This record gives sequence, C-alpha cells and structure tokens, in this order.
Amino acid sequence: MTGIGWPLVDLASRLLDRDEREAVVGDLLEANETTWQALLNVFGLVLRRQALLWKQLSPWLAAFGVALPSSYLLTYVSLSVSCTYQRLVYHRFAPCWPTGHEGFLLLLCHIILLIAWSWAGGLVVGALSRRTLWVSAAFCVFPCVFCLAAFPLEFLPKLCPFLFLLPAILGVRHRLRNPRISLNSAFLLAVTTTALMIFAWSNDALWILNWALIWPVWYLVATARKSGQEGNTESWRMGHPTYTRMSGR
Amino acid sequence: MSNYYYNVFLIMLGEFEYLLITAAAGLGENAYGAAIREEIEATTDRRCSMGALYTTIDRLEAKGLLKTWMGEATPQRGGRAKRMVRVTSKGVHAAKEFYDAVMRVSHGASWAGHRAGNSS
Repeated sequence: MTGIGWPLVDLASRLLDRDEREAVVGDLLEANETTWQALLNVFGLVLRRQALLWKQLSPWLAAFGVALPSSYLLTYVSLSVSCTYQRLVYHRFAPCWPTGHEGFLLLLCHIILLIAWSWAGGLVVGALSRRTLWVSAAFCVFPCVFCLAAFPLEFLPKLCPFLFLLPAILGVRHRLRNPRISLNSAFLLAVTTTALMIFAWSNDALWILNWALIWPVWYLVATARKSGQEGNTESWRMGHPTYTRMSGR
Repeated sequence: MSNYYYNVFLIMLGEFEYLLITAAAGLGENAYGAAIREEIEATTDRRCSMGALYTTIDRLEAKGLLKTWMGEATPQRGGRAKRMVRVTSKGVHAAKEFYDAVMRVSHGASWAGHRAGNSS
C-alpha cells in the first residue's frame, strides 16, 4: 500500500468497530493490497455490516416509527413555541404563524413538553438502534429542512424548527453512555409529561396528533421495568460484541 | 434425540462457510483473517473479500461453530492485532455433516469419478 493511499484507507476504516478495524487493516497491510483494493475491501465490509443491521426490525422502527414521525411533529411544536414566544415577548404576529391564545404558563408547559418529548424520543432511538443512528438523524433533519423551505419564517430565527434537536441529541447521548434508566426516573418523566399534556389538552392548546409523542415516554417506563427484572444478565449481554453485532444495536 | 445432536443436525453450512471452517481447521493455531483468506484464495483460485470473510466469521461465531479473539500484533501488520479463529467441536461436526452430505449427493454424478482411492 502506498503512503499516499494509506490515510484514505485509515479514514475509511474508522467506519468499523475498533477491534474489527485493527484486524482488517492489519490483514490488508499483511496482504500488501493496493490502495484501491484496500478501499474496496473496507467499504465492502462496511456496506455488508449496515445491510445486516437492516435485517432486524429495530432500525426500521427507530427510523420510521420514531425518528421520522416524531421529528415531523416536533418541528411543528418547535415552530409553535418560537411563534408564541415572539408574540408574547416581542408582540410580533403573522397570520400564517402556528400560534394561538397561549399565555406564559402554556408556553412554559409547551417548552417542558418539547424537551421531554425530544429527549425521550432521542433516548428511544438510541436504544432501538445505535448503529443506524445516522439514518435516524437524517430522518430527523428532513422535516426541519422541509419546514424551512415551505413556510415563510420572517422575524423568526432560522434555527427555530431545529429547537427539538438539542434535547433529542442529549437523549441519544444519555442512552449511549448509560444503557439503563431507573424505573423511578422513567415513571416520573412519563407521569409529568402525561399530566402536562392533559393540562395543555384541557386548555385547547395541544394538537391531537401530538398524543403520538407520548409512546416513547411510556416505552422508557416499560423497558426500565423490564431491565430491572432482568438485572445484570441483560447489561452483560448488551456489552458483548457478538450480541451487539447480531442484535443490530 | 439429545440436544447435542439436535443442535448439530439443524445447522447446514453454506459453501463459503464450509470453505472457511475447513481453511481455519487446516491452519490450526495460525488461523486468523489474512491467513484464512489467503488459504481460501489459493485453494479455490477465487478472490475472497474482507466483507465476506468477516461477516461469515461473525455468523459462524454466533452459531457457535467458531471462536474468535484478538491476538498478537506484528510489525508486518503495522503493529495491528490479528483476529484469531478456532473451530469448535460443534463446527467440526457441522463441517463433517456438510462434507458427508456433498459426498452422498454426488454419488453417481459424472464429475464425481475422480475420488480419492479411485484411479479411473
């Protein structure tokens, strides 16, 4: 392998797990492959790994069951919160803006709900399929970009539709660092979120489709309960490389 | 039927899986990615991609037919570790099953005349 091509192969191999990268790059060096052949081999392995992941249900569920529908709804909520804030604080208002009669209390309620929904959604996406996060992330950004292109957002910062992304990223990050969430925390989050949703709904300040955003929150309760019952066995299995590879997580 | 035989008979290897297990078994203690790949390419006179090799190793390991672990690093490999491979007893049985099945199904086939011990 030439000195010029080596950094390219090294860069491409970063798409693989650490141990696998070590073995594959070592094999390629030992076989004295050309840069082109080495790149083909590395990309071939990466593609096969990704294709294998999509044979499981969880990546599809993460991308099409959580990321895409949730981000569509959360983009709208982000926009609504921004518009309500503009109306209440700066007294700016446009007929096409998705804002209603909400006062500061309902605005606060919406902000808390936006954070809770996004964080729980991110956490569930991270739990369902860690290795296909890039696809789920692409599905999250798509509705935001569509929103920017489709709606006139004068007076609004261009980042408004992306407000939900930060808590969602924090949710994913939390899941990647701590595989477990305690049952008490999950239950507290679920009950608070449900109570706030009922409050907003009773004040005519919640879109009916936003009730769909409640399932990741209660999913956390269900999984926290299950992982509590399974105890240490599950945490050991989740860290095992073969389990991780075969389960697609 | 005991669980042991139930497990062994359920596993029918694919062609490439059989090649990989046979190459790894032949290499013994020196079985690792590059050596297995070289062996398969030399025996079959066909290219063997890293993708096919490592995904098959993972699949066989998940079935319990192989065991792998990270081995030593050598200067020849730029100081990178090898992924060592060992065929398990379950893997040996599965390979033998596959070999026997191929021999049985090939019995009487026109191209199966030049078998070991058959000079014609």
